[in-house]
Order: sequence, then structure tokens, then C-alpha cells
Amino acid sequence: MNIIETSRRQFLQGSVSLCIYATSTLSSPWRTTKTSNKKTTNTPYLCNMCRNKCAGYARVENGIITKLNPNHHFPKSRNMLCQKGNAGIQAIYDEDRLKYPLIRIGNRGDGRYKRATWDEAYEYIKEKLVTIIDEQKDNRSTVAYCNGEGFNKDEYIKFFGSKLGSANFLDEGSICLNTKLGATQLTIGDVGEMDVAGSDYMIISGANRYESLITPDSVDMIHSKQKLVVLDPRCTVTATKADEYLPLYPGTDLAFCLSMIYIALKEELYDKKYVREYFDDFKKLKSHILHEKYTSKWAESKTHISAKKIEQITREFFAASNPLYYLGRRSVWSQNDFQLRRAMVLINALAGSINRKGGIIFGKPIKLDDEAINEPIYDNAQGRFDLDGIVYGSQKGGSWLNFRQKVLDKTAPYPIKAMFIRKHNIMQNMPNIAKTKKMLEMMDLVVVLDTMPSDTAMMADVILPECTYLEREDMVVSFNRLEPSLALRNQVIEPLYESKSMQDILKGLGKKLSVPLFNVSAKYDEDLQESIKEDGMHKAFVEGGYDMAELYHYTTTQRNKKLITKQFGKEVYNSLKEKGVWYPYMKEQKELFNDFYEYYPPEKRFYTVDKRYRVKASLSKLEKAGFDAMPTWHKRYDFNLHEDKFRVITGRYVTTTQSATANNVMLKDFHEENFLWINDNDAKRFGIEKGDSVVVMSSLSSIVIKANPTNKIAPNVLWIPHGFGIDSQEMTNAYAKGASDNMIIEDKFEKIYGCATMHETNVIIRKI
Amino acid sequence: MANYGMAFDYKLCINCHACEVACKEENGIDLGAKNHRLWIQEDAAVSGDFWNLERDKVEFMQMQCQECQDAPCMAACPNGAIYRDENGIVRLHKDLCDLTRACMSACPYDARYVDEKNHITDKCIFCADTRLARGETTTACQITCPAKLRYFGDLDDPESEISKVLTSRKYFTLKPEHKTKPKLFYLE
Ligand code: SF4
Ligand code: SF4
Ligand code: SF4
Repeated sequence: MNIIETSRRQFLQGSVSLCIYATSTLSSPWRTTKTSNKKTTNTPYLCNMCRNKCAGYARVENGIITKLNPNHHFPKSRNMLCQKGNAGIQAIYDEDRLKYPLIRIGNRGDGRYKRATWDEAYEYIKEKLVTIIDEQKDNRSTVAYCNGEGFNKDEYIKFFGSKLGSANFLDEGSICLNTKLGATQLTIGDVGEMDVAGSDYMIISGANRYESLITPDSVDMIHSKQKLVVLDPRCTVTATKADEYLPLYPGTDLAFCLSMIYIALKEELYDKKYVREYFDDFKKLKSHILHEKYTSKWAESKTHISAKKIEQITREFFAASNPLYYLGRRSVWSQNDFQLRRAMVLINALAGSINRKGGIIFGKPIKLDDEAINEPIYDNAQGRFDLDGIVYGSQKGGSWLNFRQKVLDKTAPYPIKAMFIRKHNIMQNMPNIAKTKKMLEMMDLVVVLDTMPSDTAMMADVILPECTYLEREDMVVSFNRLEPSLALRNQVIEPLYESKSMQDILKGLGKKLSVPLFNVSAKYDEDLQESIKEDGMHKAFVEGGYDMAELYHYTTTQRNKKLITKQFGKEVYNSLKEKGVWYPYMKEQKELFNDFYEYYPPEKRFYTVDKRYRVKASLSKLEKAGFDAMPTWHKRYDFNLHEDKFRVITGRYVTTTQSATANNVMLKDFHEENFLWINDNDAKRFGIEKGDSVVVMSSLSSIVIKANPTNKIAPNVLWIPHGFGIDSQEMTNAYAKGASDNMIIEDKFEKIYGCATMHETNVIIRKI
Repeated sequence: MANYGMAFDYKLCINCHACEVACKEENGIDLGAKNHRLWIQEDAAVSGDFWNLERDKVEFMQMQCQECQDAPCMAACPNGAIYRDENGIVRLHKDLCDLTRACMSACPYDARYVDEKNHITDKCIFCADTRLARGETTTACQITCPAKLRYFGDLDDPESEISKVLTSRKYFTLKPEHKTKPKLFYLE
């Protein structure tokens, strides 16, 4: 029997736990509401505290949400609701929330606003926008628009892209995972999905699945009997829990992957039948890898993982029945990121782990009908420019850093005069905050739709308060490929204060803007002038699709009902309203143990589907553009720092979702400010002790942050948890707590997808 | 009428804090790190030099009131405020508690804290006056846990999942030398 000494007091001093707890400094600490002993309504909803969209049931008592609980019907979220999901209540009842429309009266960033009615706010936007678009001779692309939230994104694009006619949409993809999506798409013809539960051997590079939960992956990892191997320059909880943890230098995962490929080819460990049937350019890959001599010894010198270990892992991986090299899902690290993700895809392909259990599966997502709208064609709207100089890039979400740079340098083919920013904290989420600020200062009009007075909202001319996820119904969403399902975010309570759903905001904007903007077009657009001449004003307007509020003639509830019943029938609609979820085998859903369920019967899951695809080992387009066609190591990727220099890497605490949760009082209890992880021996050399303030200085700027010396990070590497150092004084729980990594991270981006490379900044430090 | 207990498949814990937040929201526990009915304790730190870390000893342990069958807190309370309810849960007559804190010193598990809002000492009561009171059969921490590692149920019912898991698997209790006979079990 194992005896464990416990002490809450000791725990609070943090002498055992390295997790740093804050004592609350809040003036009014009582913000939780005990649930009552009565039965009451529980409304199915979808969480929005991170990108996962887990399903839950909200308990409502006297119009107040008192508890959020997991919804066991949803295959994706596996009947769990995480810490952030539970703390969603505090996001709804956050006293700092944006409550009514605001119009700026002070300077950008100084936080002086006046309260306005919705109509005044729309009117203000209209006046400015008409002038801007007139000045730009109906080039609609002068209005850039961006969105950081997964839900409603397509509708938002329909409004500003299709209806308003701008080509310049930006989203989080280029400061997140576009290289991974692109690498998969270009190598095997589809972005696929990783079947974590079905894999018996999984390697993870850097992705911290236990502190950055992805459903169902994280949950499946907990319950799976697979062997888990983790590579990371930081001993995360995922690494702690792994069967094997391979510490390595940042940015050297590609060397490990190349060596795995080398060993697989040299020792002929790969799946020969699969390679024969599916690979293009296998010979080219083989001669390249063998010629470059990516031996285990070579990789040891780059990564600090021993040659023997690399060989052992490689042999085990290729001997496993369903091995998976997990592709990760997070910010891009370094210049080699696209080829790193491609190397991972190729390793899976060499093992035959594509379109089969435990590998990258294609599956069978449920396709939802599109709500067709009438899209006007604007003669004078110009194309996007942020992908100039980028080899592939996402046509949808573009490249933030390239966009920002071209706006700042005025090298864009036309000026960007206005920005609409929805739930996208661009003042915190991308490297070099000073540049984002400057870009926003160049605008004639900045409009922010958000729930919180974020740093970005403080740069707006007009702030439009959106309601939170529990105060609205959203359009039905299709999830997953292996066990596909539909899920619906039902409205739990009425919007608080004067906030509105995005749909209602766009409806109001659309009504206000349609005619005045149509009139601008009529001034410059010859095709439109033609049709006005032929058909008259009214017909040209209606048939040309100039009614921007077209989608919003019906409420979201009406639209959902129509769309779902038409495509799937009444029963599916009822299931979505009553249970929040629908999938074909709901009636057979079976409890495996302790409220943990089996959703699709194993034989019904889409492990393998009929699909024609090729594995492209070499990409000729890259070669033509002067880049590597195949994964290749270059000397500039070496981790090679003077002993007094450090490489900054970033990530997040398990209790935060970037800066979005920064003001959440419940989550603040876990990490009130962020602490800099520094290797314990390095800290000793600099005389730094736990809690000491340290200046971290890059070529851009410097920050002051408290230190957490630990043996859990590689020498010469610093970890800065993201989502702190909030500058908006309106975020009273978050303001000036800790430091923001993006103050000092240099704004470099790779040229294949135009993604910000977050782990390439070297810094010096000083204790103060 | 039941005899409630809890068993933890503790090795599955990832220290995500979901249980802690769920408990606070369900039971109206004050904000602030010092106020909590349950917490997760990192059992040992990762030791050694970064390139050769020892991770084997690290476990995340679910800590909360151990629902002792011989409860030292109950014996220690000078006001007789602590009693056992019909479901075998150690409870408090709130009006009798005048914060002598004798129970807090007596508890070998450090399970109690001062609830400043209600001027009492508080601890985990298996959601007795919230979820159980309205007829639910799960606790807030159990149902929300991504690892589903918390088994909650009636120890007197041989058919309950917790009874079955305790018959089929080895387990230990915390600090048996105190002879408190806990009803919380840690599964090997
Ligand atoms: S993982 Fe947590 S925060 Fe994210 S959607 Fe699920 S419950 Fe919400
Ligand atoms: S919810 Fe479960 S996994 Fe998370 S900390 Fe609590 S016991 Fe551990
Ligand atoms: S059983 Fe209920 S009261 Fe006890 S720790 Fe879990 S959630 Fe809190």
C-alpha cells in the first residue's frame, strides 16, 4: 500500500506542485451560484471556450445559468466538459463584458468611448464606409475583414466577401495551423483526420494534448492502450504521461523525422505494397534521403536524441500494426514547418497508415447543404495581395503577417482603409504588437464585434457588442469524419445587456448599408449602370443581389429548421433541438464504463473509404519556386546558440485559451499571471530564483516577467505562456498581469503558406 | 438511503482542473485558490537534469474529504456540529458551527477549509445538497472528468459500478495509520 502525505497548506505554497497558484485579489470574490435542489430545464448547447465545441447541457434557474454539464450524446466530446468549459458561466456573467454599442471619442487605444444606440453605431459606420468606398472608386477590397471564431465564420465571409465584395479576409490559420493543413492536402489530397483511438503506437512532436485539449484526441489518448512517444523541448504534462519522452532542441523535430525516413528506407521497414500502389516519386524520395545521409548519428547531433533511441523508436513504429505520427495542431514553429508536417505525413504513408484504422483517415463527413445567396459582381473590386510571394497560401484565410507588412509598407496595390474585426484579438495574437497597432492606426474605420473589451476592441472606432455562445442559436454544424455527427448550438438565455448575435448585427448593418453602398457602385460600376438602364433601379438592386441582409430575412431558428428538415427530416431536427446532437446510431449508443460511451459501433466507423488519391513525395511547384520539393535539412535550421542567448518558445496553460480567457475570474485562480520557464541550471548561472523578475529582450522590444526555474525545459530555451500581459484597462481581471509574448516575438513568416513562425526569436535576459 | 463512496483510477489523471471548476460552479464555492472542496496534488516533481528526467514517480492525486467511517473531525468538534447523514456522508449542521476550526486541525487529509461567505468550515459532501438532493446519481466532478476516472456510487449495493470495480481491482486508501477507514479508494 502506497501512503501519500498530503497537505493543502504545503500545496498552496507550491512546494510540491510546480503549478503556480495565485491568491485571489478580487474585491468581490463570490461569483459562483450554488445550484438548487430542484429539478429544472437543461438546454443543450455547444461550448465556445476553445475551438473544440464540446456539447453540453446548461442548467437554468430563474433565468440564470447556474451550471454547465457535459452532454453524453456527442461522439466528439466523449461526455466531458473541461475546466474552461465549466468556467463558461464566468464568461457570460463577466462584469467587464461589452454591454452596448460604443463610439470612440478619444484617441485610438486610450479607451475613451461614448455609449451609442445600435442605430447610431450603424449610422456612423455607414457614413464612413460610403466615403471610403467612394474614394476608392468602388474597390470593395479596401475593406478588410477578419474572424477568429470557428462558428459563423462562413456566414461572416458571405456578408463581407460575397455581399460587400471584399477579397481581403483573414483568419487565425496563418498564425496557427495552415502549414499542417496544407502539407496534408498537398501530400495525400485531403486534410483528413487522425484516428488517435485506433492507433497502437503514436508519436507526438510538440503538441501538448493534455494541456491543450483537443476532443476527441486528448480523451482517446487517456483511455487508449497505445504506446505514446513525445518529443518536446519542454517536459509538458503530455510528456510526463508518455511512455517515452524524448527531450530535444526546439525546431529540430524535422531532423528526427528525416532520420526515421532514412532508417525506414535503409532497413526496408516501410510498407512495400502500400508504397507500390500509392506513392508518386518514391524513388526520388529514396535517393534524396539516402543521398543526404540522414542517419541516426546525424540526427543525434541535431536533436540531442541519441542515435540508438531514434533507431529503436523507428523500428517500433514501423513494426506496429496501426502506427500514427500525430500531426499536431498549433502555431507554426519555424521556417521548415511545412516540410516538417509533410515529413510526418510521409512517415505515416510509408507505414501505410493512411485511410485505415489508427492512421490519417479520410472518413465520411456529413455534408450540409449550402444556403445559396445571390452574389453581386463588383467590376472594380480588386483581388487579394497577401499571397504575393507565397507559394501556396490559403485562398480563404490568407497570410496575416504578409498582409500587415504590405499595408504598413504601402506596397499593397491599393490602400486598406477599413477593417471589420470579429472575435479576433489581433493586438495580442500575432508577433510584433507594435506593428498591428500601427496598421490599425492607418485605418479610416475600425469596427470590432466582440464580447470583451479586448486590446483590439480598444483600437476600434465602433465597438459592436456580440452576445456570448449561450445567448444565441447558431447554424447547425457537421463534425468529424470517422464518427460523423451534426450538432446544434441552442440558445440558453436571452442576450444580456444590449448585446446581439452576429446574425442580428449583420442584419442591422446590411439594412443600413445596402442601398447607400449600391449607390456608390452605381456611380462607378459600368455593368451595374447597364443593368440599371435596362431593368430600372429596383430590379437591378434585387436581382443583382445587393441586399446585404438577404440571409437574415429569417431568424437563425427558422433557417435551421428549414435547412435541417429539408435535408435530413424532422426527426434529425428534433434530435438537434432536444439533445443538441444527431448521428445515425444514437439509439445504439452504449455505455462502456463509468459514463464513458461507445458511439458508432466499430464496424460502422469510416476507417477506410473508397477514395482515389496519390501520395506525393515530391512537389514540383515548390521546386519551380526555388524551394525544396521534399523535406530537407539546412544548416540554418541547426539549434546553435551562444550560451548566454535563449530561444523563445510559446504555448499555453491548460486553463487558458490564448487571450480569450484572460479575464475569466474562475480561470484566473489557477494562473493569475504567466511565469517564464527557464532551465534550472541556466537560472543558476544568471542568479535567477523562483519569482524573480526578469527582463527578456529581443530585437523588437523587451518584457518583464517572473521566473520559474525548472528542470523541465531545455537549456537556452525560454517558455512564455501565451495570453497574458493584457493592455486593455477595461479587462479588470487581466490588465497588466504577466507579460505578452508577442511584444518580443519577431514577425517572421515562412513562404510556403505565409504562416508566422513563432519559435525563431532569440533573446537575451537580465535579472532585475 | 445509500452508503456513498468514491474510487479513483488515479493514474489516468492529467491535472486538467475540470473537476475543481465543476465543483466550484455546482456548489457555489467561493473563488480564490484557497477555497476548494477538492484539489489535485502533484505527488512528486519530475527529478533530474533536463536531458535525463525521471518521470516515473509523478502522479496526479485527487484530494478531497475521504469520507472517513471513523471521522476525526466529527470527534473533534466541541459543538457536535458534524454528523453523518442517511447516505453515510459526513455533514455539518451549519447553525451549530462557530468556526472553532477543531475539525480542520483534526482532519489528517486537510480536507476542510473556511467558507468565509457562510462562516463555516466546508468540505466535499458528494454534492449532497445539490445534485444528490435533486435525485441525480453523479457528482459534478465525476461527470465532467475527461478521464472518467472518478467512480461514484453506493458501496452497499453489490451491483453498483464502484462495488464491482473495488472487487475486481486492487486499491489503497490514504494514511491508513490514522485508522480513519476512508470511503475513498485509489485504484492500482
Ligand atoms: S475542450 Fe473545454 S473549452 Fe474547449 S470546447 Fe470542450 S469544454 Fe469547451
Ligand atoms: S477532471 Fe479528472 S483528469 Fe481532470 S484533474 Fe480532475 S480528476 Fe484529473
Ligand atoms: S463530489 Fe461534489 S462536492 Fe465533492 S468534490 Fe466532487 S463536486 Fe465537489
